[in-house]
Amino acid sequence: MIACLLIPGFPLRAALAARPRLALRPAALAPIEGEEPLIGAVTAAAEAAGVKPGMRLGEALATCPSLVLVEQDPARAEQAWEDVLRRLEDAGFAVEPGEPGCVYFETSGIERLYGGLERALQRALAAVGSAWDVRAGAAARRFAALAAASVARPGQILVVSDERANEFLAPLPLGLVPLEPSRQQELRELGVRKLGELAGLPGAAVAERLGPDGRRAWSLARGGGKRKPRGRRPPAEIVEALEFPEAIDNELTLRRALGALVDTLLGRPERAGRFARKLALTARLVGGGSWRRTVTLRDPTVEVRRLRAALGPKLAELPAPVVELGLELVELTESTGRQLELVPPEGADLVDRLQDGLRQVRAATGTGSVCTVVEVAPWSRIPEARALLVPRDE
Amino acid sequence: MTSETTNRSTRAARPAGRVNEPRPALVESRFSGDPTHVNRQAIALVREEWRVVDRWWTEEPVSRRYFDVVLESGENAVVFHDDEHGRWFTQKA
Repeated sequence: MIACLLIPGFPLRAALAARPRLALRPAALAPIEGEEPLIGAVTAAAEAAGVKPGMRLGEALATCPSLVLVEQDPARAEQAWEDVLRRLEDAGFAVEPGEPGCVYFETSGIERLYGGLERALQRALAAVGSAWDVRAGAAARRFAALAAASVARPGQILVVSDERANEFLAPLPLGLVPLEPSRQQELRELGVRKLGELAGLPGAAVAERLGPDGRRAWSLARGGGKRKPRGRRPPAEIVEALEFPEAIDNELTLRRALGALVDTLLGRPERAGRFARKLALTARLVGGGSWRRTVTLRDPTVEVRRLRAALGPKLAELPAPVVELGLELVELTESTGRQLELVPPEGADLVDRLQDGLRQVRAATGTGSVCTVVEVAPWSRIPEARALLVPRDE
Repeated sequence: MTSETTNRSTRAARPAGRVNEPRPALVESRFSGDPTHVNRQAIALVREEWRVVDRWWTEEPVSRRYFDVVLESGENAVVFHDDEHGRWFTQKA
């Protein structure tokens, strides 16, 4: 069986963790700056007042004038989601995370451990914790498991047998399949409102009318594929962060700080010669919000120039001045040997001797004693604002 | 079961220090505000004088009057009067 655990509106719940009182009031995730003004997940009180996720901001405020907008906090959400996944892994579940708030795992291996499917799922719900209002679904197919979790109540477990999967899916609303709102509207206008009605149409006709996405939705409405979830590789999580004396918003300064972070991160001994496959750039914004972008490299590398080229453009997406910039090595390759060079490049000997010297200084004086000067605003009229001293432990 | 962050190989954000921070200086000045002595040494020549007014829109505005001076001993020095705090500092400009 494939199990699915679902926490609806996870990014909003994570953002509300710091302000739990708002959870009982009409609140919604604010639109992302620079994008279409559509609100994100909403609280139960907001939903009761007629506000729906994905509504236009103006319409939502007109529907519910007391609606509180909660700033997106992707860094906090990612951290909270990672904690949930780790708790599940600690309880023995090899999880395959979907988007934040949705996780799949195969139950056959752990049913024996916990004495049956129901007990294993109860253990999984307990591992996540009741505060998240998590719900569980299990079925032979992934989509059926997701659909079961979607209609379950908080803390409830819904198991759908393979024979009854189609019967179970048929009366469910069309909104469960991942299809663009315009396509869903098109189907509704054609009189297709339930999954069973979509599944009853000829596949070729659906593909002709709605394209590949429609064909995929049709396949899901009939239960979807049986691909087993694959347990994820726990992230490496080697993190470096740099706190600025004042909020910084010019890209050149941020690029320089990023350069220093890349150098320091690659020098961390925990990396143990492994190459970076996936990195995350994080920032704490002035005013309290956070920002996070992940970058997966086509070829794993530790070349500073390539890493800077991959991460640098992301800095242009920062929505506000930054008070802290962080860099995480999220995924590393397996350890590999290093090919020694027959003839070392020119200057390598000098660099080695310099690094040896720095290591000795560090050993004698402690961490933080060796610093790099990073020019951050050489044009500034205030002399002390032109450069920063960044601690460099490796 | 592990706690929230025990297995994260995280390092707390380290504050970046400033380079060329102003250091307090002992300066005697005339009524006009021009310095006459720096750290008990008389000034032989004021080579240049300029003003820096910046960040007036923040809670930490900067208003300084800089002097690039040559002392009687032949030593060069740059001092400034911080108009916000009413104190003298020395700094490499």
